[in-house]
Amino acid sequence: MHYPWWYVPALTAPLLIAIVAVLHVLVSHYAVGGGLFLAVEVGYAYRTGNRDLLAYLRRHAWFFVLLTVVYGAITGVGIWWTIGLASPLPTELLIHTFVFGWAMEYVFFVIEIAAAFIFYYYWGRLDPHTHQIVGWLYAASAWISLVLITAITGFMLNPGSWIAQGGFWRGFFNPQFVPQVLARTGGALLLASLYVYLHAAVKAPPGLRNLLGARSARPALLGAVLIMAGGVLWYIFLPASAQVALAAASTLNILMLLIFALTAIVFVMLYLGPYRNPGWVTTGFAILFFVLGTAAFTTGEYIREAVRKPYVVYNAVMSNGIYPAEVPRLRAGGYLDGGVWTKAYVAGRYPQLLDPAGRIDRSRFGALPEEDQIRLGRVLFQYHCNACHAVAGYSGIRELARGWTPQMLRDVVEHPERVRFFMPPWAGTPEEAGLLVTYLESIAPPAPPGMRYDGTPEKGR
Amino acid sequence: MAPQNLIGPAGPLGYPAPFWFIELFKVLGFTLHQVPMHLWYAGIPLVALLGLARGERPRRLRARLITAMPIVIAVGINLGIVPLLFTQVAYYRTFYPAGILMAWPWFAVIILLTLAYYGVYLAAVGVRSGWRPRLGAVAIWIAAVLLVGIGFLFANAFSLMTHVAGWPAIAGRTDAAGAVTGLALNTADPTLLPRWLMLFGLALLTAAAYIGLDTAFLAGRETAGYHAFASRTAAVVGTVGLAIFAVMGWWYIFGRLDRAILDASARVPTVRIFFALAAGLPALTWALLVLQRRGIARTGAVAAALVQFLALGANAIARQWVQNSELAPYLDVTAEPVMMQWSPLVLFLVLFVLGLGIVGWMIAKVVAVNRREAAPG
Repeated sequence: MHYPWWYVPALTAPLLIAIVAVLHVLVSHYAVGGGLFLAVEVGYAYRTGNRDLLAYLRRHAWFFVLLTVVYGAITGVGIWWTIGLASPLPTELLIHTFVFGWAMEYVFFVIEIAAAFIFYYYWGRLDPHTHQIVGWLYAASAWISLVLITAITGFMLNPGSWIAQGGFWRGFFNPQFVPQVLARTGGALLLASLYVYLHAAVKAPPGLRNLLGARSARPALLGAVLIMAGGVLWYIFLPASAQVALAAASTLNILMLLIFALTAIVFVMLYLGPYRNPGWVTTGFAILFFVLGTAAFTTGEYIREAVRKPYVVYNAVMSNGIYPAEVPRLRAGGYLDGGVWTKAYVAGRYPQLLDPAGRIDRSRFGALPEEDQIRLGRVLFQYHCNACHAVAGYSGIRELARGWTPQMLRDVVEHPERVRFFMPPWAGTPEEAGLLVTYLESIAPPAPPGMRYDGTPEKGR
Repeated sequence: MAPQNLIGPAGPLGYPAPFWFIELFKVLGFTLHQVPMHLWYAGIPLVALLGLARGERPRRLRARLITAMPIVIAVGINLGIVPLLFTQVAYYRTFYPAGILMAWPWFAVIILLTLAYYGVYLAAVGVRSGWRPRLGAVAIWIAAVLLVGIGFLFANAFSLMTHVAGWPAIAGRTDAAGAVTGLALNTADPTLLPRWLMLFGLALLTAAAYIGLDTAFLAGRETAGYHAFASRTAAVVGTVGLAIFAVMGWWYIFGRLDRAILDASARVPTVRIFFALAAGLPALTWALLVLQRRGIARTGAVAAALVQFLALGANAIARQWVQNSELAPYLDVTAEPVMMQWSPLVLFLVLFVLGLGIVGWMIAKVVAVNRREAAPG
C-alpha cells in the first residue's frame, strides 16, 4: 500500500523470504557453532600435540570458510535484499529502529571475516598461541552477531514494552530475547556437530572420526538441551494470540510436534551414537543425522514465521503491509484511496471514479462494467491478501473459496479476523469489500462434484 | 500517474541520527566499499583476459590477482553493508519502490553473486593447487561475465532510485492488477549506460593502482622481468580505464545529466571542487602509473593508490550530491524529524573503534609473519 506490491505467481513474495531465510540459517548457525568447534578443537590439538587432528581441522577450516564466508555471507545479505522487496514497510520500521544494532553487527562481521581468513590462510605460519587467539576472536564475534540479530528477530515476534514506549533498548531486550538467544545458541552448537560428523565421516580416518565424534557429542547434547529450554521459554513469552495459533492451526501443531520429536530423536541418537559409541558415526549415520537436524531447523523457522500472523512485527505492522492504526482511516476513506500505489492505479485507469477533489468516489463503483469491478477487486486482493494467499498455489484462494456462496465470501471479506483470528482485519469500505467479493466469485470454482449428503444420486446417473 | 504521487508517506519513527551523520556514513561506507568492489569488478575480467596471454609473466600476474580475489570479494560484500544500511535509513521512500519495480533482476543478484564467487574460488584453487585448471579457466570467464552483469544491475537499481519520473512507465508496463511483476530494468533512463561504464573505467584505474601496490610491496619473490611486466600492465590498464572514464564521464556529465543539476553544481563552490576532483584525480592516478611504467617504486605505488582512493571519495561525494539533486523535485530527504538514539550510536562508534583495533592487531600479526618469512635465512 505504501509501496508497490511485488506479484510473485504461485508462491507469493513473502514466501521467498522464508526460502532465503531457511537456506541462510542452515549455514549461519554452523558459522557460529563451527567457529566454537574450531577454536576449542585447535586448542585441544595444540595442547595434546595431535598432528593428525590438526591436519584434519585444517581441512575442516577450508570447508568452513568456503561454506560460511561465501554462501553464508551472501545469503545473509540476501535476506535483507528479499525483505526489502517482499515486505518493505516492516523493513522500513526495523531499519529505523535498529540501524545501529545492524551497524554493530557489521563491526563483528568485519572481525569475523578477517579472523576466518587469517585463521585458515596463516595456519602453521602463526605461532600456536596467536592462532588460537584468532580462532577465539572469530568464535566470539560470530556468537555476538548471533545475539544482535536474534534480538531483532525476537522483537518481530514480541516487541514487548516498545509498542507503548519506543526506544532502541526496550525493543532490543524484548521478551523473546533470552529464549531465542538460548535456542539459537543451542542450535548453533547442535548443527555444527552435525556438520562435523558429516565432514569427518567423509574426510577423517576412522580413529580420528571416533575422537571427533566423542568430543563433538557433548556440545551437541548441550545444544539440544538449550534448544529445548529456549523452546519452552519461547512458548511462555509468546504473545497470547501466537500461543493460541499454535494450538488452533493444524499445520502448526503438527509442526510443533514434529520439531520436538525430531530434536528428541537427534538427542537420543547423539547419546547412543557419538557419545556412547563413537564408532557408529559412519557416512550413512552422519547423513541421516544431518537430514534430521536440518529438518528440525527448517520446521522451527517456519513456525517462527507463521505464529506472528496477522503481524510481521507484532502489534506494529500487519502482514499485508499496513499499520494497525491505519485501519479505521482506511475503513472510512477507502483502501484504494488510502494506498499510494492503489490510488495511482485507479487514477490512471479509471479517472471517472475521481471526484472533483481528486478522491476516489466509492459510490461510482457500481456504475462500472462487471469486468472492471472484477479488475478493481483483484487490485484489492493483490494489496490486501496476496502477502499470505496466492490465487492458485501457496495457500491459494481459489481452492480455499471453492464452493463458497456470495454471502460466505462477503462475511469472510468483511470480517476475516472473526473467521480466523490470525488474519488481518478488513481495511476498506463496504463498497470495496463488494469489489473483492465480485473478484473472488469470478475465480472460485464450485464445490467438488460427487459429494452427496442427502442420499440423492448425482445428476446424469 | 504523476511520479511524485508514487512516493509514500514518511515513516513515523524519523531518523535515528542527524541526516548529516547518516549521509557521512553512507558516503564513507560507499568509498570504502568501492575499493574491493572495483578490484573484483575490473580485476576478474582482467584475470580472464590474462589467461589468454602466453608466457610466464602474465601467468604470474594472473595467479597473484586471482589468489587475492576470494578475500577481496568477502571484504567487498562486507563493506557494502554500511552504505546499503544507511541508504535504507534515509532513502527508503525511493529505494524500496525502485527495488520492487525491478524485483526479479534485483533478487537475482543473490544467486548470480553466489555463482560468481564460487567460480572465483574454483579458479583460485586451480591456480594455487593445480586442481582442474581448465575448469578454473572457464569458471573465471563465467564469473567475469556475471560480475559485470551484477554491476549493470546495481547501476539500474541505484539510477532507478532517483529516476522517479520513469516509475509510472515501468509500473504500467509491468502491471499485474495494480501490483508489479518486477520484471523491469531502468533502461529508459538516459544516464544508465554512461554511469555504468564510467564506473567500470574508474574500476580499471583502481585495479591498475592495486597492481602497482602489489608489485611494489608484495611481489618481492618475483623476478625483475615480472616487475617490469606488471608495472607496464598497470600503466596499460590505467590508460584503458582513464580513456573509458573520460569518454563516459563526458557523455554522462555533458550529454545525459540534467542541465539544471549541472548548472546548480556550478553555482556551489564546494560542489564544483568535488566535481573537479572526481574528474581530475583519476587522471593523476593514471599519470603516476604511466610515469612508472618501466618499474614501479614503493613511493610511487603508494602515491597512485592514495590518489585513486581520494578519487573514489570525491566520486562518492559528487555522486551523493547528484543523487540528492535528482530527488529534490520529488522528495526532501533532509526533512524528516530526528529521534536521536544516543546510546546505541555511541556504543556503535565505540565498537567500531574497538573492531578496527582488533582487526589492526590481527593484520599486524600477519605482517610480522610475512616479514619473518621473507627475511633471508
